[in-house]
Amino acid sequence: MSDPFSILQATGLHKSYLSGERRIEVLRGVDLAIAAGESVSIRGESGSGKSTLLNLLSGLDAPDAGELRWEGEASLDHARRGRLLGLVFQAFYLVPELDAEANVLLAARLLGKIGPAERERARELLRRVGLGERVAHTPSKLSGGERQRVAIARALMNRPKLILADEPTGNLDEGSGDAIIELLLSLCREEGCALVLVTHNAAHASRCARPLFLREGGFHAV
Amino acid sequence: MSWPLYLALKQLFPTGRRFPFFTFISILGVALGVALLIVSISVMGGFGREIRNMIVNTQGEVQVRATGLMENPRAVVEAVKKVKGVTAATPFAEGVVMLKRDRQPAFPAIQGVDINHVDEVVPLRRFVVAGKFDDLDDDRVILSYQLAATIGARLGDKVQVYSPLQLQKLQADEIMLPRELEVCGIFEIGHQQLDSSVVIVTLRTMQELYGLGRAVHGVNVKLAEGADPDRVAREINRVLPVDGLAKSWMDANQEFLFVLQLEKNMIFFLLLFIIVVAAFSVASSLLIAVVRKTREIGLLGALGASPRQVAACFCYQGVIIGVAGTASGLILGFTVVHFRNDLVAGFTRLTGSQEALERFYQFSQLPAYLAGKDLALIVCSALVVSTLAGLLPAWRAAKLKPVEALRSE
Repeated sequence: MSDPFSILQATGLHKSYLSGERRIEVLRGVDLAIAAGESVSIRGESGSGKSTLLNLLSGLDAPDAGELRWEGEASLDHARRGRLLGLVFQAFYLVPELDAEANVLLAARLLGKIGPAERERARELLRRVGLGERVAHTPSKLSGGERQRVAIARALMNRPKLILADEPTGNLDEGSGDAIIELLLSLCREEGCALVLVTHNAAHASRCARPLFLREGGFHAV
Repeated sequence: MSWPLYLALKQLFPTGRRFPFFTFISILGVALGVALLIVSISVMGGFGREIRNMIVNTQGEVQVRATGLMENPRAVVEAVKKVKGVTAATPFAEGVVMLKRDRQPAFPAIQGVDINHVDEVVPLRRFVVAGKFDDLDDDRVILSYQLAATIGARLGDKVQVYSPLQLQKLQADEIMLPRELEVCGIFEIGHQQLDSSVVIVTLRTMQELYGLGRAVHGVNVKLAEGADPDRVAREINRVLPVDGLAKSWMDANQEFLFVLQLEKNMIFFLLLFIIVVAAFSVASSLLIAVVRKTREIGLLGALGASPRQVAACFCYQGVIIGVAGTASGLILGFTVVHFRNDLVAGFTRLTGSQEALERFYQFSQLPAYLAGKDLALIVCSALVVSTLAGLLPAWRAAKLKPVEALRSE
């Protein structure tokens, strides 16, 4: 039975990989429900399955067993993923041929929504992440922290219900990382969207309302 | 603008870069292929048109030939003139003679023309380069340019003409003296075969030389502008009062035109390979781009792009390169065609080959003509080949799973 107030509900997720001839079970019946506007952090050691779980939650990968529901629906096609979810990655993944504004707008373009309102929204988001003066700069002219800010603006572009951030500070120095987490949390609050933050950093994880720890294929108390 | 097209344009012409090298080289490859096709097919088309004009200018667009002799040419001319699309008709007689000046013999083809009406059908007057066509009468002859040079004949010189009729007379123990004619003109058509071995006399002289009486061998026919020679030839055959056959110039020169078309097709086929090679280079560059941009392709999938849209993005890149390359190739090709004679003149000046060019190839000016269907064929071929070049990279890109693409190193 799905929770009508959940943006995302995962029940009994199992996922395993073949490593040579050995099958490694990464997730063993993970249950997770994300409510609207909620912030959840997931910590865990390397190889504990954090990124695997995030791939399942974003619908990019399918579980071996278990059920996923996004706003109560079990299917998540390309376009629905673009509308419902915003993704932030450790390696930013900006398109090098596009300037900052075009990178942010790309999220709207992919859904076929491009007009003056979207352009204004992209500029506004860039202003809010502190890059109002750098809208015409290509990624090669931006620092790592600035690139991640552009990626956050892109994730928020389509007003998603949920942001899934996979170690967004992994490629940044401590100061920039703290600023990025602060920005991510405050923007999600302002936009009213939920956040799932995968991180190694305990301080960053503790900033979320619900910190979780992933170990041996399941959640454990922090 | 759809996002696959937008992103394809951005990947080929990135923001902030004036000279995208890969794009430039890819477009240049296609452009060179198209330009070469335009120049080659134009020159081949030009030669074809020259030959067509030469045939039409010497035979008319339709020729009626008697199976034996045409005993009543006037009736045939009148009947032919009544056919829709015919503007004029003139009889002719033809054969081979021995021509002698001093001790220089030659064996040219001889053409007897009706001097009062020949101008209405074939503009022989236009090809006379020395003397006057109007001076031609029953005691005079017009020689082709190279034939005159071979036997050393000049205007006013006398030449002796021996015909096959003299052999017939000898067999009957009769003697017929050669006919002595004065050279009153020299013509040059621009075709080696015609310029080296043809003489023109009046129809009456030819009838006397061959003992034809009032008969002729055929009738040359001039058509109205835009009339279909094949259709008119069919119509003439329907109303022809004697045992003869009308053929359009295309039909009469079918084998020659076939060889000409075959050469043109072979050149098109071979030069098309330049575009194919350029397309392979485009395909390999785009395949490298797919590998280089694997994580970006994964990102597009993660942001909500479908595999079909990702494929379209790479397909568009092939199309854009094809369109830009074809447009550049057309500009380059037509520019070269426009300045072809200056380029040939410069080349012959550099190599000192002007004389050889005129002697062996019969031209000093390079003809050019590009038919609309040839242009359409070149443009379509270049666009299709370039588009195909984008398909393999597009298929590879579409096959990538976002989650695996994002994980790739």
